[in-house]
Amino acid sequence: MRARLAAVGRAVAFVALALVLCGAIFEVAGFSAPDMFAAILDGAFLSDGALAHDLRWACPLFVSATGVVIAFRCGYFNVGTQGQFYLGGIGAAVAVAGLPGWPPLLVTVAALLLGTLFGALWAFWPGWLRIRSGTDEVITTLMGNFIAGLLLVWVTSGPLKDPSGSGQVTASRPVPLPIRISSDTGVSPAILGLTVAVGALVWVLVNRTAFGVLGGLAGRNPVMVTWQGARLSRLGLGAFLLSGATAGLAGAMEVLGPDGRLVSGFSPAEGFTAVLIALVANLSVTGSVIVALFFGGLASASLYLPVIAGLPSAAIDMVNAAIALFITSRAWPSRFRPARFRLRRASR
Amino acid sequence: MEATGSRAHGGDGVAGAGEAALACTGLTIRFGDFTALADVTLSLAPRRIHAVCGQNGAGKTSFARACAGLIAPADGAIAISGRPLRAGQVADARAAGVELVHQSFALPPSFTVAEAMEFGLTGRAGAIYTRRGLQARWAGHLRALGVEAKPSARIRDLPVETQQAVEIARALAGEARILILDEPTAVLSPTATEALFARLRRLRDTGVTILIILHKIREVLAVADTVTVLRGGRLVAGPEDAGSVTSDSLARAIIGAPLRPAADAAADAAAGSVSRDDASEDLAALVGAATPHGMSRHPETATRRVAELAGVSTRPATDGQRLDAVDLVVRAGEILGIAGVEGNGQRPLVEALAGLVPLARGAVALDEADVTALSLAERRRRGLRIIPFERNTEGLSLSSPLWENFAARSLLGRSALALIDPKRLRGEAEAAFATWDVRYGSVENPARSLSGGNAQKVILAREIDAEARLIIMAQPTRGLDLGATAFVWQAMREARARGLGLILISSDLDELFDISDRVVVLQGGRVAGRFDPPYDLAAVGAAMVGGDH
Repeated sequence: MRARLAAVGRAVAFVALALVLCGAIFEVAGFSAPDMFAAILDGAFLSDGALAHDLRWACPLFVSATGVVIAFRCGYFNVGTQGQFYLGGIGAAVAVAGLPGWPPLLVTVAALLLGTLFGALWAFWPGWLRIRSGTDEVITTLMGNFIAGLLLVWVTSGPLKDPSGSGQVTASRPVPLPIRISSDTGVSPAILGLTVAVGALVWVLVNRTAFGVLGGLAGRNPVMVTWQGARLSRLGLGAFLLSGATAGLAGAMEVLGPDGRLVSGFSPAEGFTAVLIALVANLSVTGSVIVALFFGGLASASLYLPVIAGLPSAAIDMVNAAIALFITSRAWPSRFRPARFRLRRASR
Repeated sequence: MEATGSRAHGGDGVAGAGEAALACTGLTIRFGDFTALADVTLSLAPRRIHAVCGQNGAGKTSFARACAGLIAPADGAIAISGRPLRAGQVADARAAGVELVHQSFALPPSFTVAEAMEFGLTGRAGAIYTRRGLQARWAGHLRALGVEAKPSARIRDLPVETQQAVEIARALAGEARILILDEPTAVLSPTATEALFARLRRLRDTGVTILIILHKIREVLAVADTVTVLRGGRLVAGPEDAGSVTSDSLARAIIGAPLRPAADAAADAAAGSVSRDDASEDLAALVGAATPHGMSRHPETATRRVAELAGVSTRPATDGQRLDAVDLVVRAGEILGIAGVEGNGQRPLVEALAGLVPLARGAVALDEADVTALSLAERRRRGLRIIPFERNTEGLSLSSPLWENFAARSLLGRSALALIDPKRLRGEAEAAFATWDVRYGSVENPARSLSGGNAQKVILAREIDAEARLIIMAQPTRGLDLGATAFVWQAMREARARGLGLILISSDLDELFDISDRVVVLQGGRVAGRFDPPYDLAAVGAAMVGGDH
C-alpha cells in the first residue's frame, strides 16, 4: 500500500514539475503563465460542461491506454497505438460502407468488431516479427504508425472518399446517424458503457488471470518464465493482439462516435497520449482511469488556450511532451530496460 | 585456534621475517547498515603464502578488496611495507605493488593474451602499438612465469585455468610485491588447483607475498604458510603458522561451533540416528575437511527410471558447450551427481532434459515415457522440476512479488485465461514459505528483498512439490552460506527418501561425494567416467580434466 501511494505521489509530482517547467518557458517567451494555467484549469475542469468535454477525449484515450498497459506489462513496447487506432477507424468505416441496408444495430456491432480486428492485425505483424526473429518492436510499431497514416490518407482520398467533399479535407462519407454510437459531443451511454466494459475486462485480464500474472513476470524477467515452461511466443503474440485490438476499438469508437466519419489524420496525438497515460499510471488499469481523465481534460482545454491566454492550442502538446520527458526519464531505466536486454537472450 | 581478539602483531610462525608486507589496524568496512568487516587488525609477513578463510559473508572478499584499494574502509588503516595506503585508491595500492586477481575474471574475452597483458597496465595509454610488437613484448614474460598461452590467443579461447594463469601473469607484469587472489580455486579442477599452488609456491620463492582467499580446509592446508580466519566480519584467529593448525581446529574456527566429537557421532550411528549423523558429516564436508561416504547408498534393487538420456547430442551453443552421445539413467530414490569442470556440458545437459534446446540426436525419457518431442511445460506436467543455474535470472524474477514467483509454476499448468484468486495464491505462498522456513517480510515484497539462502528456499518450495518426480539441481548451493547449504542438502535427502530422482550438478566435489549415490563426470560434453562410492578423488579429478584413470 505504501509503495502504491509512493507511486501515485511520484506521478503527481512529475506532472506538477512538467507544468511548472512549461509555465516557466511560456513566461520567458512573453506569455502569462498564470493565464495559461487558468485557461487549462478552466477549460479542463471548471467551465460548464467541462466533464462532458473531458470524457469525449478521455474515453478513447483510456481504451487505447489499456492496450498499452497490456503490452508493456508483458515487456513488449508496442508504441504503434496510433497506427492500430487508425486501422480500427478504417475497419469501422469499411464495415459501414460495405454493409448498406443492414439493420443499423448490426452494422454498428460489425463496425466495432471489424475495427477491433483491424487494430489487432496491425499489431500482429510487428508481434510476429518480434517473436520469430527478435525484430525490435519499438522500430516496427513506430514505422507501422506512418504506414497506417498513409493508408488512412489513401483510403479517405480513394476507395472511401466522400464524393461530395469540398476537397479541403479528405474524409469518408458521414456515418448514417442510426449507426453512430454518439452525437458530435462524443458522450453517450453507448460510449461510456463500452469504455467501462473494456476497462473492466482488461482489469480482470491483468489482475485476475494466469495470463496477467505470467505476463507480468515475463515482462520483468522473460528468462525466468521460460524456465518455468512458458512459451514466450504465445504470451507475447497474445499481448500484441490484445493491445492492438483495444487501440482498434478506440479508433472505431471515434469514427462511429464524435467524429461521425473517417477523416484523414484524425486524433493525431492519440497513440502518443495513450502511451503517456499508461506510463503515468504506472501500467495500472485503475490508475489509467484517473490519468486518462486528466489528459482528456488537457485535450479539451487546448481549445480554450487561444481564447483565454492567447496561446496556440499546441501549447498543450508541450505540456504533454514535458510530462513524457519526466515520466520516461524515471520509468525507462529502472523498470523496462533490464527486461529488454534479457529478452534477447531468452528468445534465442 | 580460538578467538584471540585483536592483536597488533600476528605471525606466531613468522619470526625473523622483518617488516610486515601488509598490515592493517582496526580495519572496518560497511555497506550501508551492514558491517562487512569489523575492527580487523593483523600483519602479514613478506615472502609467504597467507591464506584467509571463512564462510560466505565472513568478510574475506571485502578484506581483499580493501587491501587492493577497491573499497574505502569506514575506519582503520592499511599499510603496505610500512607505508600507509590512502583509503580506496587503487592507483596507490598498485604503486605500492598490490595486485588483485578477482574471483570472476576481469580479462576482456575478446582480447588476445598480449593485449590483455598490455592494457592491464596503467599509465601507458596513448602510444601506438603493433600486434607483433605487443606479442613479442609479452612472450618472454609469460614464458618466464611458465604460462603456456600463445600471446596471440584470444582470452575466450583459453581454458579457465590458463585464463587464470594469464590473469596472474598480468598482475605480475608491473612491480607487484603483493598478490591477492580471491577464491582462485573455485573454478579449477583438482589438477589445475595443484598446478596453481605449485605456481604460487614458485612465486613466493621469488619474493612475492601472496594473500589467497580459500574456503576449503584441504586447500588451505596444502598451500598456506599462515592461516587467518574471519567469521562474521571479525578476525577469529591468525595469522597462525599453518604447521600448527589441524583441519579439525580450523573447521571449528571457521564455523564457530565445535564439531561434535567423533565418539558421539559413532554412538549415534550405532543407535541408528542417521539424520544427526548426517548433520555432523555435512558440517565436515561443508568446509572440505572430510568427504564422508557413509550417507551415500546405492539403491540395491532396480527401481523405476525417472529420467533417461539415450545417446543425446546437442549442437554447440554460443559458448561452445554441447552434449556428445550422453547416456544417463536416474532412478527413483537416488541422487545422481554430475561432476566436471564448469563449461563441459552441464548447461546443455539441463537444457536437453528441460527441452529448451533441440537435440541433434538421441532421446530423452521421463518416467519411462519418451518426451523428446515435448515442450518444457509438458515435461513439467510429468513431474520434471528444475532448480536452474542462475538463481537470480533463471530461478526468480527479482523485481516481481514473491507470491508471483511462487505461483508461476502452478499458473503455467492452467489455461492462460483461467481466472485466479490472488488472495488464495498469496496464502499458498505464505503456507509454503512457512513450511520451508523462508525468512521474508511480505509476499508482496519483490524477490530481490531476500538473501541468497532465502531466495533459494523460495525456489525449492516452488520446485519440490507433491507432483515432482525428477528434480534437476544445478549448482544449488553456490553462493550460499553454511546454514543454507546444509538446508539444501537436507531437502535433497528428504526428496530422495520420498522416492524422487535427483540430478545434482555441482563444481564442488566434496558436496557431490557427500550426497550422491553415483557420480558421472562430464568432460567436453561426453561422459568421461562413472563412479560409485567410495569415490576416488584422484580418479574423478583425472576424468574431469580428460586424463585416464
